Amino acid sequence: MGIRRYAMLGAFALASLSVPAFSASAEDVTISVWSLDRDIQPAPNLINDFNKLNSGIKVEYRQIQFDDVVSEAMRAYSTGQAPDIIAVDNPEHALFSSRGAFLDLTDMISKSAAVKPENYFPGPLASVTWDGKYYGIPKATNTIALYYNKDMFKAKGLDPSKPPQTWDELVEAARKLTDPAANVYGLAFSAKANEEGTFQFLPWAQMAGSSYDHINSEGAVKALDIWKTILDEKLASPDSLTRGQWDSTGTFNSGNAAMAISGPWELDRMLKEAKFDWGVALLPVPQAGAERSSAMGDFNWAIFSNTEHPEEAFKVLEYFVSQDDRMFKNFGQLPARSDISIPPTGVPLKDAALKVFVEQLKYAKPRGPHPEWPKISKAIQDAIQAALTGQMSSKEALDQAAEKIKAVLG
Amino acid sequence: MKRIIASVTDGKGFDIGLVLLPLAFLFIMSGLPLVYNLVMSFQEVDMFSLGSFVRPFIGLKNYADLFSQSETRPILLNTAIFVSASIAGQFLIGFGLALFFWMNFPGASWLRGLFLVSWVMPGLVVGAIWNWILSGDFGVLNFFLRETGVTDGNIFWRSDPNYSLWAVIIANIWLGTSFNMILLSVGLSGIPKDLYEAAELDGANAVQRFFTITLPMMRSTIGAIIALGLIFTLQQFDLFAAITSGGPNNASNVTQYWAWDLSFRQYDFAKGATISVIMIVFVMLASVVYVRSTRHEVRG
Repeated sequence: MGIRRYAMLGAFALASLSVPAFSASAEDVTISVWSLDRDIQPAPNLINDFNKLNSGIKVEYRQIQFDDVVSEAMRAYSTGQAPDIIAVDNPEHALFSSRGAFLDLTDMISKSAAVKPENYFPGPLASVTWDGKYYGIPKATNTIALYYNKDMFKAKGLDPSKPPQTWDELVEAARKLTDPAANVYGLAFSAKANEEGTFQFLPWAQMAGSSYDHINSEGAVKALDIWKTILDEKLASPDSLTRGQWDSTGTFNSGNAAMAISGPWELDRMLKEAKFDWGVALLPVPQAGAERSSAMGDFNWAIFSNTEHPEEAFKVLEYFVSQDDRMFKNFGQLPARSDISIPPTGVPLKDAALKVFVEQLKYAKPRGPHPEWPKISKAIQDAIQAALTGQMSSKEALDQAAEKIKAVLG
Repeated sequence: MKRIIASVTDGKGFDIGLVLLPLAFLFIMSGLPLVYNLVMSFQEVDMFSLGSFVRPFIGLKNYADLFSQSETRPILLNTAIFVSASIAGQFLIGFGLALFFWMNFPGASWLRGLFLVSWVMPGLVVGAIWNWILSGDFGVLNFFLRETGVTDGNIFWRSDPNYSLWAVIIANIWLGTSFNMILLSVGLSGIPKDLYEAAELDGANAVQRFFTITLPMMRSTIGAIIALGLIFTLQQFDLFAAITSGGPNNASNVTQYWAWDLSFRQYDFAKGATISVIMIVFVMLASVVYVRSTRHEVRG
């Protein structure tokens, strides 16, 4: 008797609470967005602008940390508290789309005036594609290329207008540029045992005709051998094994490395720190005329499949896409689109570098896409580290990686 | 009825309540997660079943898989080296310092307090600083070793598989020494002075006094410190994350970092849980030894 009365009271209280909430949402649909963008980066600013339009959709923003994106998203999705929209790192995208956690946007994209698949670079587009369908929209993109110190090139008798084109030229240039007495290494890059190592190595393997599902092919072995040569001859710091790209490029900026492999996120810091003339070149290829390749980084937008407002959420994404042309100017990020030409910034070094990065982007390939990418990536990282520390030959290490990857691929 | 109330407010019931309250707290805060962890180690868990309790039960498969992995054995060995070397270093240097400050020269207690600075600092900050000190090309440590003629070239502390584990051990010893010193100092000040006076009158020299009075009197303190040291070193995660990330090629990987890497980098939560269970077993064994070794001291 008593319990029933309380239950009824409780139900009544709940109903009276939810009625006003219900009437409010009938006017304004609330869409929640999670991304890792800070206040000076695109997401929060675009959302502010969008909310000012008063389109009947109210967007709420939550910033999440880079390391927490996947775990937070998984936890939220499996407990039914996922946001409507999220930004995920491109190699993680397939993990969600393959499990049906992300909404299939193919139909909405085909009807959309703002989002056109043909406007996107193939790499970023492939990363949101799963099973022939689009499960997201590329948010921005980046890639890696070769930075080189023109002053050091001149000092060592190399032509600063002719950066190395092939792997052999790169090693040769690194040999000439390395100067232990002056604390200068020829090259700075990252072979760290995390996603960065894979990010840096895969382009090399791909240029030589390999790919993550054939990682022990001849080309990849040759690529790893070249890396080993570079480390064994101390043309790059042995700390490349434990240092990320940001720290490695830091040694380039301070004049302790003559070349560096990294991405456009370095540009602003380099402009500030590097007290020398520098340039950017496309990643060297195995031999003249070989296929180019590069890594592809950055995030994608996606809508969670359990959203209550798919139409409205897609409208928000359409708005984000419509603002792609100011991504670089306002936020220093490269839109993942081939139809947008980035206006010059007025800083000559930066504009020249951009041109190279935009060219390099054409060859950028996504990592995967595969739902178990972290495991594949780990196998590749382990192989890189085992070979470079001399515990295995490149061939053995990559054979082992291929076996592990085969087990993952099934 | 009245008796029960009386017992609860002032009697046996009150005592039971006093015991139950912390027990319930312990169970909710530590017991449940431990049990959950144990259950998870027998299940197949992926990130989408993370939110539910009902998951496929696969028995000991996680354990079998784990021990068939080629990196398991070296990582367990690394953990053993890390724990024993760290505890030995922290304890010996800590004891040395404690004895040094025990001499009570002017400013001794003040200086001893200053030593605690290293213990107060967060592990990630300590790791970042040691990262610079141990840096191969421009590290202070290499500069020092070279200038004093100990080494010819640079040692790549973080990237050379022969040194990377020791790089973290050095940082960890630095981090934990002051804590050892403070606890040992407390133990030292608890030894009655008249024991030494009597020994001195009987003609015992400093070494004899140390081994026959100081060490035996410090037994329970030393036991406690070693046990705490074991727990702290097995918890040490920040330094690995900041200095070597377990690399290169797992040369400095230890179970606690590996568990995290498996769970949150490769999203293999079941394997992460499995390693944690194995670690818990070791800690339990160590604490049993600790409790037994110090029991008679507490009673006496």
